[in-house]
Amino acid sequence: MGTKKILIVDDDPDMRLALHVRLKANNYELIFASDGITSIAEARKHMPDLIILDLGLPAGDGFRVLELLKANDSLSLIPVIVVSARDRNTSMDRALKAGAKAFLQKPVHNTELLSVIRQVLGERNQTPAAVHDLGSV
Amino acid sequence: MKERGLQVLLVEDNAGDARLLREMFDKEIPGSFELTHLLRMSEAVTHLAKGGVDIVLLDMGLPDEHGLDTVRRAHTAAPSVPLIVLTGLDDEALAAEAMKEGAQDYLIKGQIESRALPRALRHAIERHRMQTETDLIRTQQMQFKDEFLSHVSHELRSPLTAIYQFVTILQDRLAGELNPQQQEYLEIVRRNVNQLQSMIDDLLEVTRVQAGKLTIALECTSLSDAITYTVNTLQGAATAKGITLSSDIERRLPSVYADPTRIRQILIILVDNAIKFTAANGAVKVQAHLSEQDPNFLVLEVSDSGCGISPQMTERIFERLFRVSDSPLAGRQGLGLGLYISKELVMRQGGQIWVKSVPGQGTVFSVTLPIFSLSNLIAPALQKETRTETPISLVVTKVGSRTGQLSDAVRAEHSHGVRDLLQRCLHSDLDVLLPKMGFTGAAELFFIVAIADGIGGEALTKRIREQLGSDEHVLQAGLTVSTSYRLLDAVKRNGCESMEDFVTKVTTTIQDLMNEEISSRTVSDGY
Repeated sequence: MGTKKILIVDDDPDMRLALHVRLKANNYELIFASDGITSIAEARKHMPDLIILDLGLPAGDGFRVLELLKANDSLSLIPVIVVSARDRNTSMDRALKAGAKAFLQKPVHNTELLSVIRQVLGERNQTPAAVHDLGSV
Repeated sequence: MKERGLQVLLVEDNAGDARLLREMFDKEIPGSFELTHLLRMSEAVTHLAKGGVDIVLLDMGLPDEHGLDTVRRAHTAAPSVPLIVLTGLDDEALAAEAMKEGAQDYLIKGQIESRALPRALRHAIERHRMQTETDLIRTQQMQFKDEFLSHVSHELRSPLTAIYQFVTILQDRLAGELNPQQQEYLEIVRRNVNQLQSMIDDLLEVTRVQAGKLTIALECTSLSDAITYTVNTLQGAATAKGITLSSDIERRLPSVYADPTRIRQILIILVDNAIKFTAANGAVKVQAHLSEQDPNFLVLEVSDSGCGISPQMTERIFERLFRVSDSPLAGRQGLGLGLYISKELVMRQGGQIWVKSVPGQGTVFSVTLPIFSLSNLIAPALQKETRTETPISLVVTKVGSRTGQLSDAVRAEHSHGVRDLLQRCLHSDLDVLLPKMGFTGAAELFFIVAIADGIGGEALTKRIREQLGSDEHVLQAGLTVSTSYRLLDAVKRNGCESMEDFVTKVTTTIQDLMNEEISSRTVSDGY
């Protein structure tokens, strides 16, 4: 099985870089987009195995992106994990209804992020690279 | 431009009283007051609905309404119009009550001085205007503050996320090796990020409380698990301060009917505070036992040997933004939101919270939480079914993951949806979907007690299989679902001495069956 390709959609360059470093260390191949329209174009071009999607985006927010992905036959099968600073209480249900596989609230714990990615990609028994996390308080 | 006279509505059925007042108004400058006189409450309400009235003079004994109800009706009909009640000499107490109902003032009939009347009216109007304005400003300020807090806490999350991400990247050596000093300093950064994170969470929580959006998901859950979790989580912080943190939990403590996440949240706040206000060599202890006052509740206690709280402060300690002013022990104090949040959370789960303290000796925070009672949940349905040979069954739905382990994140996200679907499958008020029973691991279990007449567990099981088997969300999420039922054929109503006896037997049998399901799952799944 080849390296899995993940498309990261986030308008914050710091967040893109952080996810880049963290996920590369876990042997994923990464593609990036910083707005809604580009994310659809990049998804079409690269056909990633997974999309990590922020909700607050320029040029079509995350919900619009989910809508467009679902409306496109070839893209509708790509699993999406929403990672957003928005309130879980108000945005999670909406994101899941729009077709996201999971909703994670920023700041996302590294262990949680990696485990959800592996679960959504259907990977098992893979040990993540060393992980430090935020305390549970 | 000619100023419009004050529109006065007089509601008075006594012709003599009305005439006296009218004569007083006639002495005023022409045009400064325009009097409308009505005899009945119903007429007054219709007139007020048209608008344009500046002030109402209201007699409290009308043919179609009497006493405080006159004030209530007038106030409801036109809440924004000031009101003065007219009352007899012996009714002053009633008039005072009327002011609580929204009247601005009262005038005692027979004692109204003609020169004082216009002044009383103008003052009432002015007072009412100022009060309305103050209320409006207060509401706007509260709303603005809540929106501001919510916005700020969201905006703070993004930079905090970036700090957290890069600190952990450095700590995990993803950007090269670190020397011990660098490691130590990064650990300090991470600890502070933690602190900031919990402050932001508190701010958001408070805005949720204010907006009435606090979510609480009650289930059957273990208080001792929550205590163990909290003690483990905060043991490091206690040890670092030279404080002994321990727990003492009564054996065989029953489960509580509460939200496990919220209980942990409350415990963390209380224990964290206790550690904060206790000096080195002190002790913090978490205890749980059955309530002596009410056997339906458990009592949770967090006690410390800290600096204590003065009696004046124990009254105010649960207020929002309250902070102890000058404790040398507290260090960084935080926002003063923790106890306020705790109180809201405890009350929303049907419990109570209070504090007892002796300055210089220590403090005890006590929380009560309702005990989970299976019989309370199923008794109403059992009582509704009147036939003696009612077939009762326990329907069990297991939700697992095709990939093996059902992660907490996926579980949390889908169990709500599955629960909704199951609820829709229920046939009548004779089927009871039990709340989440608090299991973790490879599968989530849902239990339904079916007391359905003639339909029973078999039909319900079939319906659930059809519904869940074709649900798009369930399929897409890669969940596996299996549903089966067990008949409680040994328990029959006519074999029981009383309804109470019947409920007890059903409850015990169901509890046993559920325990069997849970333990068989644990063994077979190997988790």
